[in-house]
Amino acid sequence: MTLKIVELRILPPFAIARLGSSPDPMDNYRFEITDPIGIRHIQSDETLVVDRETGEVNGKQRPFVVRFRDSKYKIRPIAPFLEVWVRFAGEDNLVPLTTDILSSVGLEPSAIKWKAHVANIKAYRRTGDINDRIEAQTGSFSDHVVHALEGRCNNFFEDKTIPLGDVQYIKPSKEYPEIRLRFTPAAGKVYGPPPDPGDKDPNIADAVYDPGKGTWKGYFDHLSPDDLNKDPIKARKVTNPANIYAGKAEGDFYQISYGYLDDECDGIVEVELEIDGATLSAYTRVAAGPPTFAPDGMPVRTVGDELEQAMFGPDLDDPVTKQEIAEVRDIVRRALETVRLMNTMQMNKPSAQRGVGMARMDFLDLERALEPIVDPAVADSLAIRARHERVLLALEGGSLAWFARVLRDYDEVGDLSNEKRRKMPALMRNADGRHLALTRRQVNKVRMAAEYFISQTQEGQS
Amino acid sequence: MKKSIEAKNLSAQLQHCATGNPPSTRPDTAISNAFPGLEMDFRNIWKCILVGIELHEASNLVVAVESDAPTNVHELANGYRLMQINDVAVTVPVKGPLYVGGPSVSLTDTTFGDTRMPLEWSNALADIVHQFSGKTVQCSFESLAEPKKTIEVALTVRQFFDEADVEGDKVRLAVIAKDIARPGALTQSLCSPWQNDYRECACFYWAATRPDYVNVEARPDGTSTGNNWMQKDRTPETPNVYVVDDWMDPSLVTYADLFRDWERSLRFIIGGVDEDGPPPKTDES
Repeated sequence: MTLKIVELRILPPFAIARLGSSPDPMDNYRFEITDPIGIRHIQSDETLVVDRETGEVNGKQRPFVVRFRDSKYKIRPIAPFLEVWVRFAGEDNLVPLTTDILSSVGLEPSAIKWKAHVANIKAYRRTGDINDRIEAQTGSFSDHVVHALEGRCNNFFEDKTIPLGDVQYIKPSKEYPEIRLRFTPAAGKVYGPPPDPGDKDPNIADAVYDPGKGTWKGYFDHLSPDDLNKDPIKARKVTNPANIYAGKAEGDFYQISYGYLDDECDGIVEVELEIDGATLSAYTRVAAGPPTFAPDGMPVRTVGDELEQAMFGPDLDDPVTKQEIAEVRDIVRRALETVRLMNTMQMNKPSAQRGVGMARMDFLDLERALEPIVDPAVADSLAIRARHERVLLALEGGSLAWFARVLRDYDEVGDLSNEKRRKMPALMRNADGRHLALTRRQVNKVRMAAEYFISQTQEGQS
Repeated sequence: MKKSIEAKNLSAQLQHCATGNPPSTRPDTAISNAFPGLEMDFRNIWKCILVGIELHEASNLVVAVESDAPTNVHELANGYRLMQINDVAVTVPVKGPLYVGGPSVSLTDTTFGDTRMPLEWSNALADIVHQFSGKTVQCSFESLAEPKKTIEVALTVRQFFDEADVEGDKVRLAVIAKDIARPGALTQSLCSPWQNDYRECACFYWAATRPDYVNVEARPDGTSTGNNWMQKDRTPETPNVYVVDDWMDPSLVTYADLFRDWERSLRFIIGGVDEDGPPPKTDES
């Protein structure tokens, strides 16, 4: 009996690509933790090597040496695969869509239709000119050739585009029968308007932007005291932080844009399959940003944490599960990985000079008294690192209870008293420029795990 | 063993790593405490969370109103700020000492003159998104020009994650809904070009993946010494001394270095120490 496909999904639902100019995308790797307070060891893992000409894939089996650059020192881009999964009528589980499943419903791989739409609207975000949007769309395709994501913009010169990467439907084979697409990001180049007559601009890979059509070259954020008086709504609409585009400083307040653009983007990849006259579809999200330059560490608060909180809310069911305890261990490990690469002594200094941290920002942004955040005698990176290591080593003991107590609550970020500025994560900035708090769900998870360990200890003692 | 994932297990789907994908493809390697961000500025996801209006990604200002919004909503485009949703405040007062040892008093931000600050959307709206997706909530707005002038209006919370209609059943999905962020929305407020993010922002945002303090060693007195990741001169013979970050210091990587050749200017740090430096430049490289 033929099973009926009732649903398609693309997994993962959000994939990050990372820029790099090597023609050879990054191999796969995984982490191994052998020392509870040591680093994550990067180990090779099953890699799919794609023939860009044919779209066919070959496996590269471990072990091999994991290299983030090619032989010419170019960075290998991180180019994620996007897999199509299906659910059959009456089934609870999703399974990968394969050629066998397609055959079972009388279809070939060519029945799959893909399309991608990505964009870079950084200039539009500032100028508000719809003609500054850079968009790339593939249209529907079922073949296995590389489909370039050519970023087009009305304010470009007529024959110019910015390459925003490409997508390729991987040709399924006997060894790799799954239906998947690969998104390869761009090289990480800078683009802009032509230099002034007689000048050269070695910063840009190509002169694409026509300053005769658009205003991105010469644009500036209107955020001076005078601008705030004249048009406070317009002034408050600029990005925060403001003035974060390449340009020339003019006076105390303005940054005059060079009109530079880049090849980052984010967008949507969609898949469609027509079965018995009904069309099933699914989509996923992609974004392309720079590489992680410390690839064996993870940030303490991530987009993954945001998605988890949006999905499940800030609270957890009691009691905490084994999986959640493992996640708490990972949060503490991520905090350790952060402080390992952070000059906490420098970040703690009470100075208005560049190169220091939150004490400076509190002073400049809010005129709070300029003083160190923690006692300088305990601010050295090795001391802070040791403290985090002790928490990680003795998670089940009392140390997590201490960690849980000193976490900053999300609504304490406006309290710049000495006591509250020393809350954890200390010396770090949040998404809006003030002191960092973890997501409420992260904080609750840590606190519940700490309570669980305390209750276990008390039970053991009684 | 055949691979499968329970359709209702959205957590497993969010964390799914497709065959061949390295860990750095996952959202849990993308920072969210950025100001504005590296891979994306995730704050943008909240701009369109309330149907009919667009909020600023980093403040509670209404920056636009949809043309088909009800008449009473249109006024919000004239300088109104969201203050509460269902009686939950989205701002907090800012306080601290004005001089060392002084009492904690109200502080005023030096750009806008505000004494309250907006909370990060992600945390401020966590309950609202979880409990009221697709439902209406009571929103209180305050005029920027005349704070006593307020508008109360019921708005619908947009679905954050998409839903599908599968054989008559509503099925929750793990993918962010299309209406929440159109292509380009998540990266729109990042630096342009992205290399500016690397130069302008110090390690108090994101040391785990954009390192700051590298090649760290213990000194005889037990304190640390190491290099600034942005120092150009980092050979095994270079004194292991941290140069304080300043974009005007020529011994540190410059904007131009990053625009022209970021791949040679920035080094991967594994186990806290530098990878090998770039080979001499040739015509091919």
